[in-house]
Amino acid sequence: MIRLERVGVRLGRFAVQEVSLEVPTGGYGLVIGPTGAGKTTLLEAVAGHVPLTSGRVILRDTDVTSAPPEARRVGFVYQHYHLFPHYTVRENVGYGLRRLSPHDRDARVQEVARLLGIEALLDRPVLALSGGEQQRSALARALAPRPSILLLDEPFAAVDPATRRGLRHELRELHEREGITTLQVTHDFEDAMRLGDIVAVLADGKVAQVGRPEEVFQRPNSRFVAEFIGTGNVLRGVIEAAGPIPAPLHGDGTLAEAEDRPRFPARFRSGGLTLEVVADRVGDGFAVLRPTDLLLSVTEHPGPPRNHFRAVVRRLEHGSAIVLVHLEALGVPLVAAVMESTAGELRLAPGVTVSVAVKATAVHLI
Amino acid sequence: MAPSLSPWTVARWLLAAALVLFVAGPMVRLLLEASPASLGRALADPELAASLWLTALTATVATVVGVVLGVPLAYLLARTTFPGRRLVAGLVELPVVIPHPVAGIALLLFLGRHSAVGGALASVGLEFVNHVPGIVAGMLFVSAPIVVSASREAFRGVDPKLERVARTLGDSGWQAFRRITLPLAARSVVAGAVLAWARSVSEFGSIVILTYNPKVASILIYDRFTLFGLPAAVPAAALLLLLALGVFVTVQVLTPEPAVRR
Repeated sequence: MIRLERVGVRLGRFAVQEVSLEVPTGGYGLVIGPTGAGKTTLLEAVAGHVPLTSGRVILRDTDVTSAPPEARRVGFVYQHYHLFPHYTVRENVGYGLRRLSPHDRDARVQEVARLLGIEALLDRPVLALSGGEQQRSALARALAPRPSILLLDEPFAAVDPATRRGLRHELRELHEREGITTLQVTHDFEDAMRLGDIVAVLADGKVAQVGRPEEVFQRPNSRFVAEFIGTGNVLRGVIEAAGPIPAPLHGDGTLAEAEDRPRFPARFRSGGLTLEVVADRVGDGFAVLRPTDLLLSVTEHPGPPRNHFRAVVRRLEHGSAIVLVHLEALGVPLVAAVMESTAGELRLAPGVTVSVAVKATAVHLI
Repeated sequence: MAPSLSPWTVARWLLAAALVLFVAGPMVRLLLEASPASLGRALADPELAASLWLTALTATVATVVGVVLGVPLAYLLARTTFPGRRLVAGLVELPVVIPHPVAGIALLLFLGRHSAVGGALASVGLEFVNHVPGIVAGMLFVSAPIVVSASREAFRGVDPKLERVARTLGDSGWQAFRRITLPLAARSVVAGAVLAWARSVSEFGSIVILTYNPKVASILIYDRFTLFGLPAAVPAAALLLLLALGVFVTVQVLTPEPAVRR
């Protein structure tokens, strides 16, 4: 288990403040944030490389806040791997095993090398390795002493997209097989969606949101989180009640917490666009519309969903199977996602006018 | 057809050649002046041999002390921040810009029998003025900045994350330094130490004030020149120059040539 309790770190002008996060034993946690958000600093604080200015670090139910790195028994893989350049791959992988007898050390090196598929590389100098090979070697080196906690700093950042996909899959399998509690930092939300049990979004050294990846994706709690994780369309506007507003009170008359407030039908206005939504408050706010929730058709069809409007296709962005359709609806730019085959059937092209439908409950208000 | 040379190209080659000639010319002239026979006689000269031996020994001691004290300081300057770090870094470099007789006078005042430090050290049998430790002190004063500077740059060139990885693999701070940073910085640290040794061998200004006798090679050469003239000083000077050239070659082998940026 990894538990950070209101952790604060100051490194020069940069600071991480009041970060709290818990990754359960055997879990996979991700800290995600833009460059300079403090992700690596936070990971180094967990490993004991930088002192805390406040808070506590608990590993395996033990407070290690003042323990040196060598006493924390964590595996650490940096973004650029940092293999020891004056040693071979074998010497790198066996570096943390010097308390074992030469026979046991060699056996463990072979075992981990087999696990990571680097047996053929063991006697090579590290400078002769490709990015993917270095990544596997660094992972093998970190895993060799059998740590129960693994800390990964942007492990896929320095490899090409194809290698990244493969490594991500291997890492997930490895995690499931070995059951090592893992904390990874990344700037890629796809890592979080594919790997993580829990994700914390870091902004300017503070946790902006923490939760299960799909929760954060579905219900970002701020414009920053919504835009950073690429939820899709984030519209600034005004929320207005479509009827009477229920009192935000509990039965005993006390003010309800934000998440317990009663929800009511409302309208969200942004530019010339008006959407029917479900709100728990009125006033200025943001509406998040995921591209997959925007349903496109050539002819307008009546009935549900609640929101229908016309939009003009401005641009098509072709992916491997998905087409992102950039639209303009009453002066508001939007992005919808459709299957390649759907885009063909609808004959989508720049300048074509389409009908857009979206459920009121699919509009997430911030 | 070969491209025509611009005036700037011609000018920079001529200016560069002039300086190279100015530096190399006197050394070549000195080596040509000393015949192999005179070098052989110089090596058989017991006073010169004793002086060269004393010079090599004291320079070695000064270099070892410089490395033992200078490498930890260089590591601190490269890796940690502390109040007054820039001041300390500047202070350690200062002997490079101080005229060496001035360094000798400062050392005389600091280590002489009448100073607090010199008196205390003399009371435990460590005397500097007109004693061999004075030679070592003069050499250390002028050569330590070379060790510190070379080592500091070498440590700066080693990514601190390598040490951090070693720490997570079970190394203590000292073990990570010994197994990772020091081996990776060793070539430059050794090159700095060799240069510091050569600088110690060539030191004259501070030693002549602290410890004229027993004579190190630079003082003996000066002595012979002033007492017996140029012919008496040339063989010893040529021997010292050959020693310096040996050091130069060693440093060239130890430190890779930086790539030329086009």
